[in-house]
Amino acid sequence: MSDVTDLASRIAWPAEGVARVPYVVYSDPGVHEWEQTHIFRGPAWHFLGLEAQLPEVGSYTLVDVGTTPVIVLRDEAGEVAAFVNRCAHKGTQLLFVPQGKVKQVMCVYHNWCYDLGGRLTSVAFEKGVQGKGGMSPDFRKDQHGLARLRVHRICGLIFGTFSDATPDFDSYVGAELVANIRRVCSRPMKILGQYSQLLHSNWKLYIENVQDPYHASILHAFNGVMKLDRLTMEGGVVKGTKGWHHMAYSKMSTDRGDEVYGKGPMRSAELSTYGHGLRDHSLSEFWDDFGDNVSLTVQTIFPTFVLQQLRNSLAIRLVVPKTPRTCQLHWIAFGYDDDDERKSALRLKQANYMGPAGLISMEDGMIGGLVQRGIEGDKEKSSVLELGGRGVEPIEGSRASEASVRGFWAGYRELMGV
Amino acid sequence: MVQVAADHPVTASQARALLSDYVAILDDGPLADWPSFFTDPCLYRITTRENQERQFPLSIMLCDSRAMLYDRVEATEKANIFEPHTYRHVLSDSRIVAADGATLKLRTSFLCARTMVEGDFSLFVSGVYIDEVVQESGRCLFRSKTVVLDQSRIDTLIAIPL
Repeated sequence: MSDVTDLASRIAWPAEGVARVPYVVYSDPGVHEWEQTHIFRGPAWHFLGLEAQLPEVGSYTLVDVGTTPVIVLRDEAGEVAAFVNRCAHKGTQLLFVPQGKVKQVMCVYHNWCYDLGGRLTSVAFEKGVQGKGGMSPDFRKDQHGLARLRVHRICGLIFGTFSDATPDFDSYVGAELVANIRRVCSRPMKILGQYSQLLHSNWKLYIENVQDPYHASILHAFNGVMKLDRLTMEGGVVKGTKGWHHMAYSKMSTDRGDEVYGKGPMRSAELSTYGHGLRDHSLSEFWDDFGDNVSLTVQTIFPTFVLQQLRNSLAIRLVVPKTPRTCQLHWIAFGYDDDDERKSALRLKQANYMGPAGLISMEDGMIGGLVQRGIEGDKEKSSVLELGGRGVEPIEGSRASEASVRGFWAGYRELMGV
Repeated sequence: MVQVAADHPVTASQARALLSDYVAILDDGPLADWPSFFTDPCLYRITTRENQERQFPLSIMLCDSRAMLYDRVEATEKANIFEPHTYRHVLSDSRIVAADGATLKLRTSFLCARTMVEGDFSLFVSGVYIDEVVQESGRCLFRSKTVVLDQSRIDTLIAIPL
């Protein structure tokens, strides 16, 4: 196990603070390990799943919080409980089929059984066989239950934390971002489907990308040319508590961007002939889901959660660290129980924007890989994040700022102690 | 295997030839010819085995007209940014699962290897093509093609249709 006691000096964060990110954090194994204890087991809320995945008592889903496998289930009382997916006996992973329904949680190795409240209820051969062997009389099953996470449920979303020091969810996230969760998730949700991507980059490169409004209309050329999302549209960034979380939003009907985006060296200038050439317009058909004319919101909750509204394409994303240079990005697309056939069909059509083949999101999967390779030879150097200032305050009504990216790093530095 | 009547407008070998030509276009280009393999309207979608089995309707790609197919080609060739790569599809024998009216429905397993221009090679995806083939103006075309990937976890991205 690598020595992480001198992590702060090993990372040596530059004096410019969150306007710089030392490249070492994207590949150092000691940093990766330190993140497990300080972020994933630390005072932060982590997305665990959707209530819609747990329709009945005993329904469960499996999720990773950092590198810890977790079971999320519907207990006897109809509440949601979350436990570390590990037998108290020898550490075996208890459940290994990603979703299902159980009457109890049973370990296949030695038949130790836990009820839906995580209590150890039976141990094979506890009393021995024919008077020989078995557990000693002072073995107490109630001392060997499953490790439980604290759970918070909001509008069908389930979050969990390992730490007693984590603030309550609303304080952790901030009132405006909690309001957006209520805005998008208050109606009963219907899961449309799920998939994931293996990304060849550190998990933080993905979440930084999501928290960055600067790239959206540039890297995603489809955005700018198709006038889906331009920085010239009315919009802005709202910050969550301490700037750790963010929400970027824009209103599509207010664009005045042809002058900026139609001029070289903007890449969208070259593509202007294509911009006239979209042959099918059904992908452009959409409605105002929430009655506020806001056609795009992308919200993060530090460290790994994203709530996406791309017109009527709604989804949750969760990024899970695997190794220092790889991560897995999970997507769950959803609509509402009260969507009629037309709305369901349009949401499914607009899902062309998202996911591994997303007309908009495709580049997010690969850009981290380019950064990961670009920085490999210069781990003592840093990135430069100075658009819109050097702190975490957003600029009112503007997305020409990297404040929300700097805000992620403010959270990271605080929890990591670097 | 379902028997195909001798006078069925689409023969098994015609459907099979259509499939071979189809993957050749994806492997060797030009991608601009891809939409010409479909009727208009049509259905082309990529999904995962997990979503199929759980009856989730989400697609990874979804096109229901030639126009959408052309738009996907244009996005791939002119807008989307990704590291250059090529595909190599390998097909199993096809199984005819239905031959009713004017439509031949067949299932074909496939492997698709992806080679990045800078060298990395992987067995990228495997799955099954579920195809409905019809005759239109003397040509065999896909009225619908459903690509069901065995994998729910995709390596990086899917830029070129499968």
